[in-house]
Amino acid sequence: MTAIELVDVSVEFEGVQALAEVHLAVEPGEFVTVIGPSGSGKTTLLRTIGGLQEPTRGAVSIDGEDPESAQSEGRIGYVFQDHTLFPWQTAIENVRFLREMAGKSPKPGRARSILSEMGLDGFEDHYPEALSGGMKQRVAIGRALHLGADLLLMDEPFGELDELTREEIGVEIRRLWRDHDRTIVFVTHSVPEAVLLGDRCLVVDGPPGRIVRQFDVDLPRPREESVLESAAFQSTVSDIRAELHRKA
Amino acid sequence: MTVVSTGTVRRIGIGVGGIGLGFGLWWVAVVLFAPPTYILPAPAAVLGRLAGNPTLYIENAWITTQKVLLGGGVGAASGIVLGVLIAKIRVLRASLLPYLVTMRVLPKIAIAPVLLIYFGLGMQTAILFVAIIAVFPVAISTAAGFERVPERHLDLLQSVAANPRRTLVRVEARYALPDVFAGLKQAAALSVIGAIVAEWIVSTSGLGYLILVASETVQTTVLLAALLLLVAVGLAIYGSVALFQRVTVGPSSRYAGPT
Repeated sequence: MTAIELVDVSVEFEGVQALAEVHLAVEPGEFVTVIGPSGSGKTTLLRTIGGLQEPTRGAVSIDGEDPESAQSEGRIGYVFQDHTLFPWQTAIENVRFLREMAGKSPKPGRARSILSEMGLDGFEDHYPEALSGGMKQRVAIGRALHLGADLLLMDEPFGELDELTREEIGVEIRRLWRDHDRTIVFVTHSVPEAVLLGDRCLVVDGPPGRIVRQFDVDLPRPREESVLESAAFQSTVSDIRAELHRKA
Repeated sequence: MTVVSTGTVRRIGIGVGGIGLGFGLWWVAVVLFAPPTYILPAPAAVLGRLAGNPTLYIENAWITTQKVLLGGGVGAASGIVLGVLIAKIRVLRASLLPYLVTMRVLPKIAIAPVLLIYFGLGMQTAILFVAIIAVFPVAISTAAGFERVPERHLDLLQSVAANPRRTLVRVEARYALPDVFAGLKQAAALSVIGAIVAEWIVSTSGLGYLILVASETVQTTVLLAALLLLVAVGLAIYGSVALFQRVTVGPSSRYAGPT
Protein backbone atom coordinates (compact mmCIF):
# COMPACT_ATOMS: atom_id res chain seq x y z
CA MET A 1 0.00 0.00 0.00
CA THR A 2 1.19 3.53 -0.75
CA ALA A 3 2.48 5.29 2.38
CA ILE A 4 1.39 8.75 1.25
CA GLU A 5 -0.96 9.61 -1.56
CA LEU A 6 -2.06 13.06 -2.66
CA VAL A 7 -4.59 13.25 -5.49
CA ASP A 8 -5.24 16.61 -7.11
CA VAL A 9 -4.66 18.47 -3.86
CA SER A 10 -5.15 22.22 -3.72
CA VAL A 11 -4.92 24.40 -0.63
CA GLU A 12 -6.22 27.91 -0.31
CA PHE A 13 -6.31 30.06 2.79
CA GLU A 14 -7.35 33.66 3.23
CA GLY A 15 -7.80 34.06 -0.51
CA VAL A 16 -4.27 32.88 -1.34
CA GLN A 17 -3.73 29.64 -3.19
CA ALA A 18 -0.79 27.91 -1.52
CA LEU A 19 -0.91 24.56 -3.35
CA ALA A 20 -2.39 23.72 -6.72
CA GLU A 21 -3.23 20.33 -8.22
CA VAL A 22 -0.55 18.35 -6.40
CA HIS A 23 -0.29 14.65 -7.15
CA LEU A 24 2.14 12.58 -5.14
CA ALA A 25 2.65 8.96 -4.18
CA VAL A 26 5.31 7.89 -1.68
CA GLU A 27 6.11 4.24 -1.11
CA PRO A 28 6.64 2.79 2.39
CA GLY A 29 10.26 3.19 3.49
CA GLU A 30 10.99 5.80 0.86
CA PHE A 31 13.07 8.87 1.71
CA VAL A 32 11.68 11.83 -0.24
CA THR A 33 13.25 15.26 -0.10
CA VAL A 34 11.44 18.45 -1.06
CA ILE A 35 13.28 21.49 -2.31
CA GLY A 36 12.18 24.85 -3.66
CA PRO A 37 12.48 28.58 -3.13
CA SER A 38 11.06 30.33 -0.05
CA GLY A 39 7.30 30.72 -0.17
CA SER A 40 6.89 28.04 -2.82
CA GLY A 41 4.59 25.93 -0.64
CA LYS A 42 6.99 23.29 0.73
CA THR A 43 5.82 23.71 4.31
CA THR A 44 2.16 23.80 3.24
CA LEU A 45 2.74 20.56 1.34
CA LEU A 46 4.19 18.94 4.46
CA ARG A 47 1.42 20.31 6.69
CA THR A 48 -1.19 18.99 4.27
CA ILE A 49 0.37 15.53 4.28
CA GLY A 50 0.48 15.59 8.10
CA GLY A 51 -3.14 16.69 8.47
CA LEU A 52 -2.24 20.08 9.93
CA GLN A 53 -3.68 21.80 6.87
CA GLU A 54 -7.01 20.78 5.38
CA PRO A 55 -6.94 20.64 1.56
CA THR A 56 -9.46 22.86 -0.17
CA ARG A 57 -9.73 20.30 -2.94
CA GLY A 58 -8.48 16.78 -3.54
CA ALA A 59 -7.65 13.95 -1.18
CA VAL A 60 -4.75 13.01 1.11
CA SER A 61 -4.26 9.53 2.47
CA ILE A 62 -1.69 7.97 4.78
CA ASP A 63 -1.53 4.19 4.39
CA GLY A 64 -4.96 4.37 2.78
CA GLU A 65 -6.52 6.33 5.64
CA ASP A 66 -7.14 10.02 6.14
CA PRO A 67 -4.36 11.95 7.98
CA GLU A 68 -6.56 12.44 11.07
CA SER A 69 -6.70 8.67 11.58
CA ALA A 70 -2.92 8.45 11.23
CA GLN A 71 -2.57 11.32 13.74
CA SER A 72 -4.81 9.65 16.30
CA GLU A 73 -2.82 6.42 15.99
CA GLY A 74 0.44 8.33 16.52
CA ARG A 75 1.81 7.27 13.16
CA ILE A 76 2.97 10.75 12.11
CA GLY A 77 6.14 12.16 13.66
CA TYR A 78 6.75 15.82 12.99
CA VAL A 79 10.14 17.51 13.30
CA PHE A 80 10.07 21.28 12.86
CA GLN A 81 12.80 23.77 12.07
CA ASP A 82 12.63 25.06 15.63
CA HIS A 83 13.01 22.09 17.93
CA THR A 84 9.63 22.59 19.71
CA LEU A 85 10.93 21.05 22.92
CA PHE A 86 8.93 21.96 26.02
CA PRO A 87 11.25 24.19 28.07
CA TRP A 88 10.09 22.95 31.48
CA GLN A 89 10.85 19.32 30.65
CA THR A 90 14.21 17.59 30.52
CA ALA A 91 15.38 15.88 27.33
CA ILE A 92 14.03 12.50 28.41
CA GLU A 93 10.76 13.97 29.66
CA ASN A 94 10.30 15.66 26.28
CA VAL A 95 10.89 12.37 24.49
CA ARG A 96 8.34 10.56 26.67
CA PHE A 97 5.78 13.36 26.76
CA LEU A 98 4.71 13.31 23.11
CA ARG A 99 4.07 9.57 23.23
CA GLU A 100 2.00 10.10 26.36
CA MET A 101 0.04 12.95 24.77
CA ALA A 102 -0.58 10.68 21.78
CA GLY A 103 -2.31 8.28 24.18
CA LYS A 104 0.20 5.49 23.56
CA SER A 105 1.31 3.14 26.29
CA PRO A 106 4.69 3.93 27.84
CA LYS A 107 7.76 1.97 26.79
CA PRO A 108 10.03 1.74 29.83
CA GLY A 109 13.67 2.26 29.00
CA ARG A 110 13.02 2.96 25.34
CA ALA A 111 13.34 6.75 25.60
CA ARG A 112 16.73 6.39 27.27
CA SER A 113 18.01 3.98 24.64
CA ILE A 114 16.81 6.27 21.82
CA LEU A 115 18.61 9.25 23.36
CA SER A 116 21.68 7.08 23.66
CA GLU A 117 21.32 6.12 20.02
CA MET A 118 21.12 9.84 19.20
CA GLY A 119 24.46 10.40 20.95
CA LEU A 120 22.91 12.09 23.97
CA ASP A 121 24.22 9.83 26.73
CA GLY A 122 24.55 11.88 29.90
CA PHE A 123 22.23 14.63 28.66
CA GLU A 124 18.92 12.88 29.43
CA ASP A 125 18.20 15.05 32.46
CA HIS A 126 19.29 18.35 30.92
CA TYR A 127 16.70 21.02 30.20
CA PRO A 128 16.57 22.39 26.62
CA GLU A 129 18.15 25.66 27.76
CA ALA A 130 21.32 23.69 28.59
CA LEU A 131 21.51 21.90 25.21
CA SER A 132 23.09 23.11 21.98
CA GLY A 133 20.96 23.63 18.85
CA GLY A 134 22.10 20.32 17.40
CA MET A 135 21.36 18.45 20.63
CA LYS A 136 17.87 19.94 20.82
CA GLN A 137 17.15 18.83 17.27
CA ARG A 138 18.46 15.35 18.10
CA VAL A 139 16.05 15.21 21.04
CA ALA A 140 13.22 16.31 18.72
CA ILE A 141 14.09 13.54 16.26
CA GLY A 142 14.37 11.05 19.13
CA ARG A 143 10.94 12.13 20.31
CA ALA A 144 9.45 11.34 16.88
CA LEU A 145 11.15 7.92 16.94
CA HIS A 146 9.92 7.17 20.47
CA LEU A 147 6.42 8.05 19.36
CA GLY A 148 6.69 5.01 17.10
CA ALA A 149 5.64 7.00 14.05
CA ASP A 150 6.27 5.20 10.79
CA LEU A 151 6.04 8.44 8.82
CA LEU A 152 8.47 11.22 9.69
CA LEU A 153 7.73 14.69 8.33
CA MET A 154 10.73 16.96 8.70
CA ASP A 155 10.35 20.65 7.94
CA GLU A 156 13.84 22.06 7.46
CA PRO A 157 15.03 20.45 10.70
CA PHE A 158 18.59 21.63 10.05
CA GLY A 159 17.57 25.20 9.17
CA GLU A 160 18.94 26.75 12.35
CA LEU A 161 22.08 24.63 12.61
CA ASP A 162 25.63 25.38 11.52
CA GLU A 163 27.18 23.54 8.57
CA LEU A 164 29.16 21.04 10.64
CA THR A 165 26.20 20.10 12.85
CA ARG A 166 23.99 19.78 9.75
CA GLU A 167 26.40 17.23 8.32
CA GLU A 168 26.62 15.32 11.59
CA ILE A 169 22.86 15.10 12.02
CA GLY A 170 22.49 14.30 8.31
CA VAL A 171 24.60 11.20 8.95
CA GLU A 172 22.38 10.34 11.93
CA ILE A 173 19.20 10.73 9.88
CA ARG A 174 20.52 8.42 7.16
CA ARG A 175 21.45 5.82 9.75
CA LEU A 176 18.13 6.10 11.58
CA TRP A 177 16.17 5.82 8.35
CA ARG A 178 18.12 2.69 7.45
CA ASP A 179 17.88 1.10 10.91
CA HIS A 180 14.29 2.01 11.77
CA ASP A 181 12.66 1.51 8.36
CA ARG A 182 10.65 4.75 8.35
CA THR A 183 9.10 6.70 5.51
CA ILE A 184 10.54 10.21 5.53
CA VAL A 185 9.51 13.42 3.79
CA PHE A 186 12.24 15.97 4.36
CA VAL A 187 11.99 19.65 3.39
CA THR A 188 15.28 21.46 2.86
CA HIS A 189 16.81 24.52 1.23
CA SER A 190 20.07 22.73 0.49
CA VAL A 191 20.35 20.91 -2.85
CA PRO A 192 23.35 18.76 -1.80
CA GLU A 193 21.50 17.77 1.37
CA ALA A 194 18.39 16.86 -0.64
CA VAL A 195 20.45 14.65 -2.95
CA LEU A 196 22.57 13.09 -0.22
CA LEU A 197 19.55 12.09 1.87
CA GLY A 198 16.77 11.30 -0.58
CA ASP A 199 15.73 8.46 -2.84
CA ARG A 200 13.74 11.02 -4.72
CA CYS A 201 13.85 14.79 -4.76
CA LEU A 202 10.73 16.83 -5.46
CA VAL A 203 11.22 20.33 -6.83
CA VAL A 204 8.40 22.61 -5.72
CA ASP A 205 7.70 26.00 -7.22
CA GLY A 206 5.05 28.57 -6.49
CA PRO A 207 2.93 30.20 -5.35
CA PRO A 208 0.72 28.39 -5.87
CA GLY A 209 2.92 25.46 -4.93
CA ARG A 210 3.24 22.71 -7.50
CA ILE A 211 5.61 19.78 -7.84
CA VAL A 212 7.27 20.90 -11.04
CA ARG A 213 9.76 18.06 -11.33
CA GLN A 214 10.93 14.93 -9.57
CA PHE A 215 14.47 13.59 -9.61
CA ASP A 216 15.24 9.99 -8.78
CA VAL A 217 18.51 9.93 -6.88
CA ASP A 218 20.33 6.95 -8.22
CA LEU A 219 23.17 6.72 -5.73
CA PRO A 220 24.18 3.62 -3.81
CA ARG A 221 23.27 3.21 -0.14
CA PRO A 222 24.54 3.48 2.49
CA ARG A 223 25.81 6.85 1.37
CA GLU A 224 29.00 7.99 2.99
CA GLU A 225 30.63 11.39 2.72
CA SER A 226 32.68 10.13 -0.22
CA VAL A 227 29.55 10.10 -2.34
CA LEU A 228 29.66 13.90 -2.33
CA GLU A 229 32.62 13.74 -4.71
CA SER A 230 31.09 11.23 -7.09
CA ALA A 231 30.16 12.26 -10.61
CA ALA A 232 26.60 10.96 -10.20
CA PHE A 233 26.06 13.10 -7.10
CA GLN A 234 27.50 16.22 -8.75
CA SER A 235 25.43 15.65 -11.85
CA THR A 236 22.16 15.27 -9.91
CA VAL A 237 22.92 18.39 -7.87
CA SER A 238 23.61 20.33 -11.08
CA ASP A 239 20.40 19.12 -12.68
CA ILE A 240 18.31 20.17 -9.67
CA ARG A 241 20.06 23.53 -9.44
CA ALA A 242 19.44 24.11 -13.14
CA GLU A 243 15.76 23.32 -12.62
CA LEU A 244 15.51 25.72 -9.67
CA HIS A 245 17.28 28.51 -11.60
CA ARG A 246 15.13 27.89 -14.67
CA LYS A 247 12.06 28.37 -12.50
CA ALA A 248 13.52 31.47 -10.84
CA MET B 1 15.11 21.87 42.33
CA THR B 2 16.67 24.16 44.93
CA VAL B 3 13.96 26.55 46.04
CA VAL B 4 16.17 28.81 48.17
CA SER B 5 19.47 29.37 46.38
CA THR B 6 22.47 31.37 47.57
CA GLY B 7 21.34 34.19 45.29
CA THR B 8 17.92 34.23 46.94
CA VAL B 9 19.46 34.34 50.42
CA ARG B 10 21.69 37.22 49.29
CA ARG B 11 18.70 39.10 47.84
CA ILE B 12 16.71 38.61 51.06
CA GLY B 13 19.73 39.77 53.07
CA ILE B 14 20.06 42.92 50.95
CA GLY B 15 16.31 43.57 51.34
CA VAL B 16 16.44 43.20 55.13
CA GLY B 17 19.55 45.41 55.20
CA GLY B 18 17.66 48.04 53.17
CA ILE B 19 14.81 48.03 55.68
CA GLY B 20 17.33 48.39 58.54
CA LEU B 21 18.94 51.31 56.72
CA GLY B 22 15.51 52.97 56.34
CA PHE B 23 14.91 52.69 60.09
CA GLY B 24 18.42 54.07 60.70
CA LEU B 25 17.81 57.13 58.48
CA TRP B 26 14.45 57.68 60.17
CA TRP B 27 16.13 57.62 63.57
CA VAL B 28 18.92 59.97 62.40
CA ALA B 29 16.31 62.41 61.04
CA VAL B 30 14.48 62.44 64.37
CA VAL B 31 17.72 62.98 66.33
CA LEU B 32 19.05 65.68 63.99
CA PHE B 33 15.88 67.70 63.37
CA ALA B 34 13.89 66.86 66.53
CA PRO B 35 10.49 67.30 64.84
CA PRO B 36 7.34 67.38 66.99
CA THR B 37 6.06 63.84 67.63
CA TYR B 38 2.78 64.58 65.83
CA ILE B 39 4.90 65.18 62.68
CA LEU B 40 7.50 62.40 63.01
CA PRO B 41 7.77 60.25 66.12
CA ALA B 42 10.94 58.21 66.67
CA PRO B 43 11.04 54.58 65.43
CA ALA B 44 11.29 53.39 69.04
CA ALA B 45 8.06 55.24 69.91
CA VAL B 46 6.21 53.63 67.00
CA LEU B 47 7.53 50.16 67.81
CA GLY B 48 6.72 50.80 71.50
CA ARG B 49 3.14 51.67 70.51
CA LEU B 50 2.91 48.36 68.58
CA ALA B 51 4.31 46.41 71.53
CA GLY B 52 2.16 48.31 74.04
CA ASN B 53 -1.18 47.28 72.58
CA PRO B 54 -0.50 44.27 70.35
CA THR B 55 -4.11 42.98 70.43
CA LEU B 56 -5.46 46.14 68.78
CA TYR B 57 -2.96 45.97 65.93
CA ILE B 58 -3.00 42.21 65.43
CA GLU B 59 -6.81 42.08 65.39
CA ASN B 60 -7.05 44.89 62.86
CA ALA B 61 -4.21 43.46 60.80
CA TRP B 62 -6.01 40.11 60.70
CA ILE B 63 -9.23 41.80 59.55
CA THR B 64 -7.34 43.55 56.74
CA THR B 65 -5.49 40.36 55.84
CA GLN B 66 -8.79 38.47 55.58
CA LYS B 67 -10.11 41.08 53.14
CA VAL B 68 -6.93 40.88 51.08
CA LEU B 69 -6.89 37.06 51.01
CA LEU B 70 -10.61 36.50 50.45
CA GLY B 71 -11.13 39.41 48.06
CA GLY B 72 -7.84 38.81 46.29
CA GLY B 73 -8.53 35.07 46.13
CA VAL B 74 -11.99 35.52 44.63
CA GLY B 75 -10.63 38.14 42.21
CA ALA B 76 -7.65 36.01 41.21
CA ALA B 77 -9.74 32.86 40.67
CA SER B 78 -12.31 34.79 38.63
CA GLY B 79 -9.51 36.50 36.72
CA ILE B 80 -7.89 33.19 35.77
CA VAL B 81 -11.20 31.73 34.53
CA LEU B 82 -12.02 34.94 32.66
CA GLY B 83 -8.52 35.10 31.15
CA VAL B 84 -8.72 31.54 29.83
CA LEU B 85 -12.17 32.18 28.35
CA ILE B 86 -10.99 35.43 26.73
CA ALA B 87 -7.96 33.67 25.22
CA LYS B 88 -9.89 30.65 23.96
CA ILE B 89 -13.24 32.09 22.82
CA ARG B 90 -12.94 34.89 20.28
CA VAL B 91 -16.60 35.91 20.47
CA LEU B 92 -16.33 36.28 24.22
CA ARG B 93 -13.16 38.30 23.85
CA ALA B 94 -14.84 40.71 21.42
CA SER B 95 -17.92 41.07 23.59
CA LEU B 96 -15.97 41.53 26.83
CA LEU B 97 -13.41 43.94 25.41
CA PRO B 98 -15.49 47.12 26.00
CA TYR B 99 -16.00 46.08 29.64
CA LEU B 100 -12.31 45.28 30.09
CA VAL B 101 -11.28 48.64 28.63
CA THR B 102 -13.84 50.36 30.85
CA MET B 103 -12.46 48.54 33.89
CA ARG B 104 -8.97 49.55 32.92
CA VAL B 105 -9.69 53.27 32.63
CA LEU B 106 -12.17 53.50 35.53
CA PRO B 107 -10.56 54.68 38.79
CA LYS B 108 -11.45 51.74 41.02
CA ILE B 109 -11.90 53.95 44.05
CA ALA B 110 -14.98 55.41 42.35
CA ILE B 111 -16.69 52.00 42.57
CA ALA B 112 -16.55 51.89 46.38
CA PRO B 113 -19.39 54.41 47.01
CA VAL B 114 -21.54 52.51 44.50
CA LEU B 115 -20.95 49.26 46.38
CA LEU B 116 -21.72 51.08 49.63
CA ILE B 117 -25.17 52.00 48.29
CA TYR B 118 -25.91 48.48 46.99
CA PHE B 119 -24.41 46.34 49.75
CA GLY B 120 -23.93 48.66 52.74
CA LEU B 121 -21.08 48.69 55.23
CA GLY B 122 -19.36 45.44 56.07
CA MET B 123 -16.88 42.72 55.37
CA GLN B 124 -18.63 41.30 52.29
CA THR B 125 -18.70 44.72 50.58
CA ALA B 126 -14.99 45.18 51.25
CA ILE B 127 -14.24 41.69 49.91
CA LEU B 128 -16.25 42.42 46.78
CA PHE B 129 -14.38 45.67 46.27
CA VAL B 130 -10.99 43.96 46.63
CA ALA B 131 -12.12 41.20 44.24
CA ILE B 132 -13.14 43.78 41.61
CA ILE B 133 -9.72 45.41 41.89
CA ALA B 134 -7.83 42.10 41.69
CA VAL B 135 -9.71 40.52 38.79
CA PHE B 136 -8.51 42.79 35.99
CA PRO B 137 -4.70 42.31 36.08
CA VAL B 138 -5.09 38.55 36.52
CA ALA B 139 -7.56 38.23 33.63
CA ILE B 140 -5.42 40.27 31.24
CA SER B 141 -2.16 38.52 32.20
CA THR B 142 -3.76 35.06 31.99
CA ALA B 143 -5.20 35.79 28.56
CA ALA B 144 -1.79 37.06 27.39
CA GLY B 145 -0.12 33.93 28.79
CA PHE B 146 -2.44 31.54 26.99
CA GLU B 147 -1.89 33.46 23.76
CA ARG B 148 1.87 33.13 24.15
CA VAL B 149 1.94 29.38 23.47
CA PRO B 150 4.11 28.87 20.36
CA GLU B 151 1.98 27.85 17.38
CA ARG B 152 4.46 25.11 16.49
CA HIS B 153 3.91 23.42 19.85
CA LEU B 154 0.20 23.30 19.20
CA ASP B 155 0.91 21.94 15.72
CA LEU B 156 3.09 19.25 17.26
CA LEU B 157 0.32 18.20 19.63
CA GLN B 158 -2.27 18.32 16.85
CA SER B 159 -0.01 16.04 14.79
CA VAL B 160 -0.60 13.31 17.40
CA ALA B 161 -4.29 14.22 17.86
CA ALA B 162 -3.63 15.12 21.51
CA ASN B 163 -6.72 15.57 23.65
CA PRO B 164 -7.55 19.34 23.66
CA ARG B 165 -8.30 19.37 27.40
CA ARG B 166 -4.97 17.71 28.22
CA THR B 167 -3.23 20.13 25.86
CA LEU B 168 -4.87 23.03 27.68
CA VAL B 169 -3.89 21.80 31.12
CA ARG B 170 -0.48 20.28 30.46
CA VAL B 171 0.95 22.60 27.83
CA GLU B 172 -0.98 25.84 27.42
CA ALA B 173 -1.43 26.37 31.17
CA ARG B 174 2.26 25.65 31.75
CA TYR B 175 3.24 28.25 29.17
CA ALA B 176 0.81 30.73 30.69
CA LEU B 177 2.04 30.25 34.28
CA PRO B 178 4.68 33.03 34.33
CA ASP B 179 2.12 35.53 33.02
CA VAL B 180 -0.54 34.27 35.42
CA PHE B 181 1.89 34.80 38.28
CA ALA B 182 2.80 38.27 37.00
CA GLY B 183 -0.92 39.08 37.18
CA LEU B 184 -1.22 37.48 40.63
CA LYS B 185 1.65 39.57 41.97
CA GLN B 186 0.01 42.72 40.62
CA ALA B 187 -3.27 41.59 42.15
CA ALA B 188 -1.57 40.93 45.51
CA ALA B 189 -0.27 44.49 45.66
CA LEU B 190 -3.56 45.97 44.41
CA SER B 191 -5.58 43.88 46.88
CA VAL B 192 -3.78 45.50 49.81
CA ILE B 193 -4.56 48.94 48.36
CA GLY B 194 -8.13 47.79 47.73
CA ALA B 195 -8.56 46.55 51.30
CA ILE B 196 -7.35 49.88 52.72
CA VAL B 197 -9.62 51.93 50.43
CA ALA B 198 -12.52 49.61 51.33
CA GLU B 199 -11.81 50.15 55.02
CA TRP B 200 -11.90 53.92 54.49
CA ILE B 201 -15.27 53.81 52.72
CA VAL B 202 -17.23 50.63 53.42
CA SER B 203 -15.80 49.28 56.71
CA THR B 204 -15.46 50.18 60.38
CA SER B 205 -12.48 47.99 61.21
CA GLY B 206 -9.06 46.96 59.92
CA LEU B 207 -5.72 48.71 59.55
CA GLY B 208 -7.16 51.11 56.96
CA TYR B 209 -9.88 52.20 59.36
CA LEU B 210 -7.27 52.53 62.13
CA ILE B 211 -5.11 54.72 59.85
CA LEU B 212 -8.14 56.87 58.99
CA VAL B 213 -9.12 57.38 62.64
CA ALA B 214 -5.50 58.03 63.69
CA SER B 215 -5.16 60.58 60.90
CA GLU B 216 -8.33 62.42 61.89
CA THR B 217 -7.18 62.58 65.54
CA VAL B 218 -3.55 63.37 64.62
CA GLN B 219 -2.21 60.28 66.43
CA THR B 220 0.84 59.96 64.19
CA THR B 221 2.42 57.22 66.28
CA VAL B 222 -0.67 55.03 65.89
CA LEU B 223 -0.86 55.88 62.20
CA LEU B 224 2.77 54.89 61.57
CA ALA B 225 2.43 51.75 63.70
CA ALA B 226 -0.55 50.68 61.59
CA LEU B 227 1.35 51.59 58.40
CA LEU B 228 4.33 49.46 59.46
CA LEU B 229 2.07 46.51 60.05
CA LEU B 230 0.36 47.11 56.71
CA VAL B 231 3.73 47.02 54.93
CA ALA B 232 4.49 43.72 56.69
CA VAL B 233 1.12 42.26 55.59
CA GLY B 234 1.66 43.45 52.01
CA LEU B 235 5.20 42.06 51.84
CA ALA B 236 4.12 38.72 53.32
CA ILE B 237 1.30 38.29 50.78
CA TYR B 238 3.39 39.40 47.81
CA GLY B 239 6.30 37.26 48.99
CA SER B 240 4.05 34.21 49.34
CA VAL B 241 2.87 34.57 45.75
CA ALA B 242 6.46 35.03 44.54
CA LEU B 243 7.62 31.97 46.51
CA PHE B 244 4.73 29.88 45.18
CA GLN B 245 5.74 30.96 41.68
CA ARG B 246 9.32 29.93 42.33
CA VAL B 247 8.23 26.49 43.55
CA THR B 248 5.69 25.74 40.80
CA VAL B 249 7.25 27.43 37.77
CA GLY B 250 11.01 27.23 38.28
CA PRO B 251 13.49 29.58 36.62
CA SER B 252 11.85 31.94 34.13
CA SER B 253 14.51 31.14 31.51
CA ARG B 254 12.81 27.76 31.00
CA TYR B 255 9.84 29.62 29.52
CA ALA B 256 11.72 31.61 26.96
CA GLY B 257 10.39 29.30 24.24
CA PRO B 258 12.38 27.82 21.37
CA THR B 259 15.93 29.11 21.20
